[in-house]
Amino acid sequence: MTPEKDPISGRETTGHEWNGIKELNTPIPKAFRLWLWISIAVAALYWVFYPSFPYGADYLHGALGYSSREAVQVAVAEGAATRAEAFDIFETKDVNELAEMPELQAQFEGEIAVLYRDNCAACHGRDAKGQKGFPDLTDAHWLWSGSPEEIEYTLQVGINSAHEDTRIAEMPAIGRDEWLEQAEISDVIDYVLSLSGQEHDAEAAARGIDLFAENCASCHNGEGVGGYENGAPDLTDSAWLYGGTRADLRETLQHGRAGVMPAWSDRLSAAEIRKLTLYLLWQGQGDGNS
Amino acid sequence: MTRHSALLLQFLVLIIPLLLGLAILGWGREGAYVLHGWLIAGAAGWGMTWLLDKMNDDAPEIPLEYKDDVIKWGVLACFAWGVIGFTIGDVLAWQLAIPSLNGDMFWSNFGRIRPIHTTAVIFGFGGNALIATSFYVVQRTSRARLASETLPWLVFVGYNLFVLLAVTGYPFGITQSKEYAEPEWYADLVLLITWVAYLYLYLKTLSRRAEPHIYVANWYYLGFIVVIAMLHVVNNLAMPISIALPKSYPLFSGVQDAMTQWWYGHNAVGFLLTAGFLGMMYYFLPKAAGRPIYSYRMSILGFWGITFLYLWAGSHHLHYTALPDWVQYLGMTMSIILLVPSWGSVFNGLLTLNGAWDKVRTDPAIRFMMVAILFYGLSTFEGSFLAIRPVNTLSHYTDWTVGHVHAGALGWVAFITFGAMYKMVPWIWKRDGVYSLRLEAWHFWLALMGTLIYVGAMWNSGITQSLMWQTYEPSGAFTYAFIDTVDAMIPYYWMRAIGGFLYLLGALIGSYNIYMTVRGARLPDEGSDAKPLAHPAE
Repeated sequence: MTPEKDPISGRETTGHEWNGIKELNTPIPKAFRLWLWISIAVAALYWVFYPSFPYGADYLHGALGYSSREAVQVAVAEGAATRAEAFDIFETKDVNELAEMPELQAQFEGEIAVLYRDNCAACHGRDAKGQKGFPDLTDAHWLWSGSPEEIEYTLQVGINSAHEDTRIAEMPAIGRDEWLEQAEISDVIDYVLSLSGQEHDAEAAARGIDLFAENCASCHNGEGVGGYENGAPDLTDSAWLYGGTRADLRETLQHGRAGVMPAWSDRLSAAEIRKLTLYLLWQGQGDGNS
Repeated sequence: MTRHSALLLQFLVLIIPLLLGLAILGWGREGAYVLHGWLIAGAAGWGMTWLLDKMNDDAPEIPLEYKDDVIKWGVLACFAWGVIGFTIGDVLAWQLAIPSLNGDMFWSNFGRIRPIHTTAVIFGFGGNALIATSFYVVQRTSRARLASETLPWLVFVGYNLFVLLAVTGYPFGITQSKEYAEPEWYADLVLLITWVAYLYLYLKTLSRRAEPHIYVANWYYLGFIVVIAMLHVVNNLAMPISIALPKSYPLFSGVQDAMTQWWYGHNAVGFLLTAGFLGMMYYFLPKAAGRPIYSYRMSILGFWGITFLYLWAGSHHLHYTALPDWVQYLGMTMSIILLVPSWGSVFNGLLTLNGAWDKVRTDPAIRFMMVAILFYGLSTFEGSFLAIRPVNTLSHYTDWTVGHVHAGALGWVAFITFGAMYKMVPWIWKRDGVYSLRLEAWHFWLALMGTLIYVGAMWNSGITQSLMWQTYEPSGAFTYAFIDTVDAMIPYYWMRAIGGFLYLLGALIGSYNIYMTVRGARLPDEGSDAKPLAHPAE
C-alpha cells in the first residue's frame, strides 16, 4: 500500500493498515525532542555529581562525594545534640532530685507525653488508666511501689521480661496445678471477696482464712495487703489488675497470672526512662505509700 | 509440528502439574495446601483427558474465522475477578476506617485479605483483560486465527488456576510475603508453564500473520509477556522446605532480595499494568474513534523508551534504605527520563482523537479511554516526581503511595479496560452495540467520582501524615506521637472507603450492562472483512 493523506490532519500515513487502523507519519514535535534531551542532561548532571554507574568492584562516586550513610549519621548526631542540650537536666540529675522539681511539669509534660504515647500507650492507654492485665498508672495503687526510683527501675528491667535483672512476679495456677481442691479454692475466693468488702458467703470465707494463710499469705501478706518486695497486689482495695468479681478470681486462681512489662533500657535512653518516670508521677494521684 | 505431535507435547507437559498436584495432595499436611494439590491435579487431569480425546478424534475442520470462544471466557473471568477484587478492596478500606470490621478472626484481618484484593484486581481482573484482549488484537491485526485450537484454553485455565490458588491460600497464611509475588513456589510453577505456553502461542500467531508488518499494539503485548516471564522466574527463585508444606525460602536475602523484589514489583507495574494496557489502547482507541494513530514515530519512541527505562527504575522504591547510593541514583535518574516516553504515549493517544473529539461526548467507551489516558499521564508524572529522592522523603511509607497506585490502577488500568470491553464485547458476541449507553455513562461517572475521591483523600492523608511525622519541637522531640498521625487519617479513610464504594457500584452496573449486552440479539454475519485471511498450511 502507498502512503495516503489523512484529510483531517493533512499528514501522510505510513501506508500500512491493520484491521482498518492506520498510522500517521507525524514527526516527533520539536518541543518533545528538546524535553527528552533536557531530561537526559538533568540525569547526566546527577551522574556527574552523585554516585552512579558501577564498574568492576567499585562505582562512580560523583563529584560531590555524597553518601547517604554519612548524611544520615550527621543528621542523627545533630538531632541527638539538640535533644541532649534541651533535656540536659534529665541527664545530670537523678530521678529523686527531678521528682522534687514540680516546675518541670509545665515545661516538659507535652513533649514527654509524645514519648509516652509512642511507647507505653499501646498497653496502658493514652490516658494511662490501663486496661485488663495492664495497671492503671494514675491511681495510688502500685505493685512495686510508686517511689521514683522504683518506677524507674521497673521501666529499666521490666517485669517477667527478657532482661537478666527483671522483676519477677507470678501468680501460680493453683487450680490447674492442683495445689488446692476446687472446693477449697471457692472458700479462698469468698475470703478474698470479704477482704475487699464485697458480697461473700461468711461461712465459706471463714473456712478460707486458714487456706489463705497457708497458701497465699507468703506473697499477699497476712492481711492480704500485698507487698512491694515481690509485686503481689493488695487484695483489700478496689484496684483489680485482672478483675475482682467471683468469676475473675476463679479464673486467676485456676490458671495463674504472669503479666509482662518489657524492659526498656535497651530501647530508650536513661534520660528518656527518667522522663517517663516523671511523667507517671505527674499523672499519679500519690506515691501509693499513704 | 503436526497436529498430533503438538497435542502429544501438550499432553506430556501437563504431566508436570499432574505429578506436582498428586505429590501435594499425597504428602501435604495443611488443609488449604492439600486442597491446592487437588485443584492442580484435577485441572491437569482434565486437560490431559481432553487432549487425549482430541488425539483420538479426526482432525476437525478449522473454520476460517477468528477464535473468539476463549476470549468470551476471558471477559467473564475479568469481570468476575474485578467485582471480587473491588469488593474486597472496599472491605479493606472500611476496615481501615473502622478497625473492628476485621472481625477479629485470623483469616479476615487486613494482612491476610489485602493480598486477595491486590491479586484479584492485578492478576485476576487486569491479567484476564490482557489475555482476552491480546488474543483479540493479535488475530485482527495479523488477519490470522490463533495458532492453536487447544493452547488458548490451557493458557486461560492455567492462568485462572494460578489466581485461584493464590487468593485461596492467603487467608490460611500461604504466602512468601513478597508484595505482588505472594504465591508460593507450586503456584508459581503453574504460572510458569502457563506463561511459556502463552508466549509460544502469541509468537506463533504473529508468525502466521497475513499482514506484512506487526502492529504496535502487538509490540506492547509481546513486551508484557516477555518481561513478565523474566520477572516471574527471577523474583520467585526459592527453595521449598518440604513437599509436605507450602513454605519456601527465597534464593536471595537482605538487600539483594529487596532489590530483586522491587525490580520485579516496579516492572510488574511497567509491563503488566502499563505496557499491556498500552497495547490495549493502541488497538481499541483508534478502532473506536475511527482515526489513525497520531504518530508512528512517537509509538516507536514511546515503546523503546518505556522498555529500556522501566527496567532501571525499580530501585526508586528503596530510596534511603540499605541499598547502595549508586543504585538509588540510577533508579531515580532513569525515572526522570522515563516521563518523556510515557507522555509520548499520552500525546499519541490523545492526539489520535483529533478529528473525533465529538465522540468523547457521545460515546462513553471513548470517554473511558480518553480519561484513562489522562490518568496515565497524571500517574506517570506523579511516579517520576515521587522517584526524586528529596520528594520521596515526603511520600515514602505514606498513603500518598497508595493514592498514586490507585490513580494508575483505578484511573488508567481499569478505565482503559472498561472502555475496551464496552467495544470488544459487542464485537465478539456480534451484538448491535452495548445494551444501555445510559448505564455505561452512569458507570463512567461513578467510576470517575470514586477515583477522584479516593485519590484526593490519599493525597491529603499521605502529605498530612508525612508532615506530622517530620514535625519536631525546638528541643528536637517529636511534636506528634505515631498514634496522633493515625487519628488524623480517620476522615480520609472514610472518604477513601466511600470513593471505593462508588467505584464498586459503577463496576457492578458495568457488569450488569455487559451481561445484558451478551443476552441481546445477535447481528447477521459481517462478511469476509471480519475474518482472517487463508494462509498456506504448514
